Amino acid sequence: MTVEVKVIKKPGRTLAEQAYVPEIAKGLGFAMGRFFKNTFGPQAKKEIDTVKYPEEKVEYPERFRGIHRLTQRSDGSPRCVACLCCSTACPAQCIHIEPAEYEPDDPRHGYERYPSVFVIDELRCIFCGYCVEACPCDAIRMDTGMHMPPSTSRDHFIYDKETLLSIPGRDGTYLTANPRHEPGDDTHPGIDRERGH
Amino acid sequence: MPKFTLDGKEIAFEAGETVMEAAWREGIEIPHYCWHPGLSIAANCRMCLVHVESGRQMAMPQLVFDADKGEYVPATKPRLQPACQPAAAEDMGVSSTNEEVKTAQASVQEFLLLNHPVDCPICDQAGECKLQDYYYEHQGTLKRKLTEPVHKPKGVRFGPTIVYDAERCIMCTRCIRVCDEVAKDHVLDMRERGNRNEIIVAPGRELDHKYTLMTEHVCPVGALTSQDFRFKARVWFLKSGQGVCTGCATGCNTHVDYDPRNGKVYRLRPRDNADVNQFWMCDDGMMTYTRHDTDRLLMSTTGRGEERSPVAEEEALALAAEKLTAVDASKLAVVLSAQHTTEDNLALVKLAGALGADRLYLAALGGWEGDDILRSEDNNPNRSGAKQAASGASLKPVGELLADVQAGAVQGVLALGWATAETLEELAPLLALDGVVSLTSHVGALPAAASVAIPVADTFEVDGSFVNAKGLTQAFQPALCPPDGVEPAWATISELAAKLGKDLGFKDLQGLREGLVDAVEAAQ
Repeated sequence: MTVEVKVIKKPGRTLAEQAYVPEIAKGLGFAMGRFFKNTFGPQAKKEIDTVKYPEEKVEYPERFRGIHRLTQRSDGSPRCVACLCCSTACPAQCIHIEPAEYEPDDPRHGYERYPSVFVIDELRCIFCGYCVEACPCDAIRMDTGMHMPPSTSRDHFIYDKETLLSIPGRDGTYLTANPRHEPGDDTHPGIDRERGH
Repeated sequence: MPKFTLDGKEIAFEAGETVMEAAWREGIEIPHYCWHPGLSIAANCRMCLVHVESGRQMAMPQLVFDADKGEYVPATKPRLQPACQPAAAEDMGVSSTNEEVKTAQASVQEFLLLNHPVDCPICDQAGECKLQDYYYEHQGTLKRKLTEPVHKPKGVRFGPTIVYDAERCIMCTRCIRVCDEVAKDHVLDMRERGNRNEIIVAPGRELDHKYTLMTEHVCPVGALTSQDFRFKARVWFLKSGQGVCTGCATGCNTHVDYDPRNGKVYRLRPRDNADVNQFWMCDDGMMTYTRHDTDRLLMSTTGRGEERSPVAEEEALALAAEKLTAVDASKLAVVLSAQHTTEDNLALVKLAGALGADRLYLAALGGWEGDDILRSEDNNPNRSGAKQAASGASLKPVGELLADVQAGAVQGVLALGWATAETLEELAPLLALDGVVSLTSHVGALPAAASVAIPVADTFEVDGSFVNAKGLTQAFQPALCPPDGVEPAWATISELAAKLGKDLGFKDLQGLREGLVDAVEAAQ
């Protein structure tokens, strides 16, 4: 059996390349040119991708999954009803919720159920967004446009209910984009035995 | 037995049985809401409509749109019947899956969801709700009604145990029938019609009989929720163990629903057993689960009152052995427990035999209000089992033990369990004795009177059996693991025997149970 051999010629060098010095000068010239242009040149002409973080920040894309927030009703109560769908869906098991019931004399009694404890361990969270997908009340959202602020303490990454409620969305509000008519709302035409049908 | 055909499958039935009942016995489910095997037939939910294809067909007139003519033309459709009502007949051909039936099921399901508030996020029934299950199985279409649903009262308190939500209610009347037929108390009824239809409590009454939680148990949707279980847990996290109720000597079979993530029991549900409790349980029995994690003894202790201090279990066993050896066998009292399994009691009887102690007593709770439905007046689950374990020997009550202690006939006590009718003040004579050893799962008067208390596992944590008032032996499996370092009482007793230098003749539960056969035969 004969083997066909294809001989590939070694790439050679020109005399200028072989002389070394002109190529050095050419390379240095390019680097220094960029250096002066990017350091002292006008802003518009700079050819550089890095930003001076944290003084300058790049806007995250619109669908970026940032840290969580809990949306509020118009009376400031959490929209969350502690159904535990998010903690069921969470693959990292980082959400801990304890449900409770509004007392009968509470004006929010009509909403019936609320989370007395709502804690997200942001260190365990993998930011997959399943909690947002699972939420039937649009109560948990990741539209804050913020990543986790760095900290030297682990405690700072355990977000409780108050912290989560205090984070606004990208639009600066605490409300939901998908309002829902609930039995506790003033406008809800709900009835009770006293008011009759 | 005569047979009929359901969807091509032959099903045997007894005379008088309905199609639904016969199918249910065979393990075939025809979708239904209002029918319950333990209740009378209401046939009002219309979910179980089936087509009886054999025999003379009844036809209903209807209008069908004819695309060629561009108008509605008269036609007929077969008349369907609820499977829960007509009695099955020989060679009857029934279809629960043909096109007409499927359309009817989807339509009924859509009708029941017409004004449903869809507040599943706040509803405890979510996860075990028939409306949810049947929506996926039989409907699966989007809502067509665009107007505001009809609103009804929500969160109505029916009594100390039950909360009612009229918007979720599908008016199947199961709760009314449970009160009428099981609890024999007509406290619930229905008022108004159509959109205004709702369940009400009799005026001047509360839903407060002994079987109120059964209304919640039979409710196929989330209309009735239990005040106790309300918002505590999501059912899809719960796992179920098979237990026997410790509430009374009836021994109702239970599902022990617990969360495996934290080892906490959240509720008991009745488990069907035609020989014992049919489908039901009483409220007090269902609440016995709360005993499990309240006042548990988790560490061995020595000393009494203020001097009580925790010790390692090994040390406690050695101390107990020392104290028991110091007492003459003829003056040692062994107290069995009517709250512990027959196996635990048998191990203790064997230890008494090995020590040569023949003074056997029985600690038991003092009884509660019984009825002729399920509740036995004896609120101890295993009085008969303790008697069997003692091979029929007479078991004297704790009252006699106290008298014997005062008379000087008893100088040492080895007691099982926490349950006694006596208070700590009444048990005062025991405080004078040095050698009182208690093997107990919970704190209580008897452990408090003991000089050495050693923790053992609770009923939810052991493999064992109870003998109910009728003499029926019922075995159950552990739902949970005992706390760290705590073992079932029979294992602790066997360790104590080893410290005392006695061999009880069994190595494991299987070996112990072999001894039980002899004990039962001797008891007879």
